[in-house]
Amino acid sequence: MVAAEGGLPGNTAASSADAIPLKLRQSGGAPRQVLVLTLVGTLVLAVFASRDLSGWLDRMGGGPILEPIQRAAAQWDGAMERLGLVRPHEALRGTIRQLLDWEWGSPP
Amino acid sequence: MLFPTSGFLLFFLVVAAAMAMLQTRFAAKKAVLVVASYYFYAQWDWRFCFLLAFSTTLSYLAGRLIGATANRDRRRLILGIAIALHLGLLGTFKYLDFFVLSANELARLLGMEHELPFLEILLPVGISFFTFHGISYVTDVYRGDAAVCRNPLDMALYMSFFPQLVAGPIVRAAYFLPQLARPSAEPIPIAPAILLILGGLFKKVVIANYLATGLVDPVFAAPTSYGAPDLLIAVYAYAVQIYCDFSAYSDMAIALAALVGFRFPANFNQPYRAERLREFWQRWHISLSTWLRDYLYKPLGGNRHGTLKTYRNLMITMLLGGIWHGAGWKFVAWGALHGGGLAVERMLEPWLGRHARSPAARVIATVIVFHFVCFAWIFFRAEDFEVARLYIAGFGAGWSGGLQQAGPFMVALTLIGLAGQFTSGALFERAAIALARMPSWGIGAAAGIVGAAINALGPEGVAPFIYFRF
Repeated sequence: MVAAEGGLPGNTAASSADAIPLKLRQSGGAPRQVLVLTLVGTLVLAVFASRDLSGWLDRMGGGPILEPIQRAAAQWDGAMERLGLVRPHEALRGTIRQLLDWEWGSPP
Repeated sequence: MLFPTSGFLLFFLVVAAAMAMLQTRFAAKKAVLVVASYYFYAQWDWRFCFLLAFSTTLSYLAGRLIGATANRDRRRLILGIAIALHLGLLGTFKYLDFFVLSANELARLLGMEHELPFLEILLPVGISFFTFHGISYVTDVYRGDAAVCRNPLDMALYMSFFPQLVAGPIVRAAYFLPQLARPSAEPIPIAPAILLILGGLFKKVVIANYLATGLVDPVFAAPTSYGAPDLLIAVYAYAVQIYCDFSAYSDMAIALAALVGFRFPANFNQPYRAERLREFWQRWHISLSTWLRDYLYKPLGGNRHGTLKTYRNLMITMLLGGIWHGAGWKFVAWGALHGGGLAVERMLEPWLGRHARSPAARVIATVIVFHFVCFAWIFFRAEDFEVARLYIAGFGAGWSGGLQQAGPFMVALTLIGLAGQFTSGALFERAAIALARMPSWGIGAAAGIVGAAINALGPEGVAPFIYFRF
């Protein structure tokens, strides 16, 4: 750990190298854009990862507050299944299962 | 609450909404971030919040007192008391049972019958990290490297900021507190932040999780049940697992901080491509290695008082760095190996400097350093010394059995993880620049699709990050 002595610039914390270099920090957005992308990302995840949304809520246990949310999540997942939107998720899960079962000397 | 979970996504959605609504009200934003950070921390155990608040108050008051005192001896006394209290907290919560266990073992060896009782204190998540934040602050104020923090809200945010609270990076006061003085004039680097999050998700959810459950955990649980080829691949896999696990957390922490308007320092830089052990520590957990350099190694004298004292200082620092990771002799052994390795490397430096310049020599040096680091990881990962001994003895037991546990997928994940050590940083820059051309809703949609794919590829549920226990 101390091997860094002399290897990193300067001797104070203020000179620590930023993780995101200056070049990449010169363009970007505002907090409102962060909110927009987080909202859109969450919606896309709710559509394409509905299986896990339902599973995550189920793992939280039960109770009068959670149960209606869990029912809604299960209905949402069912709706996504009817629309065929869980197929990419299941195809990827199937692929990873095949890869996990892959043994030396047999094709994946 | 782990980063790669739906719960955290909803939490962050609320934080992002608050940041957007508060616009230019910087003090209100900081207050929201403090409340959010304490909520985040309370998800593990709400009682830990009192410990965090105590540590924050201690640092704040010590900083104010040091700043208000001109007398050098009194300043040193206040610094000493503050550091002792911080370390006392850490020692009580993290190491007390370890000391009791060690004392009882020693007593048994000496033939004494009386045993000290175990207190079985619950280890507060992240205590090692926020303790180091507190020590960093009071020391920087004492040295004049950081200004005294007069705003309790700033101190509360510095100590509790949720992206780094439970597993770092260890962000220095002199680096972070100036960012709290005024809002950043820079735009939020959305594209690189999203790439860091997605890359981190892939490293943690796919690579680290599968390597852990499919290879590393079973082999380290019963090393005598496996042949040498499996043992070898499993230790390489652990090297990849711990890197992917910890660097994933750091990447996501850096990205989350960036998305709410703050900069963090780099914490990893392709450590397994190091040609020297010293270089490895310039690339691995950089925030800890530089912390130990500045607050331990240099105060001990560093390399300023002759060769022998330099080796002694290296050893002390690495031993303490080892035990920082956990209350156990195996971590001491891991630290001792690295300390010894660094000392030997320093001894050989004149010879290495002359002979390790050609491309072939550099490749050989990288391979040697990587294998030394892997050897040390055996002690770090094994349950105890006996398991580590059995593991190492297994390398001499036979190479004829072939790979049983390490299937092609596990080997492929290990190779992918190692190949990532040699990719160019320009690749990340180009991807970030290309992504930055998209509108924010497009970045969100793309991130959602890639995130859903990573989620589908990963196992159900996410194991805690390795560094949470430190």
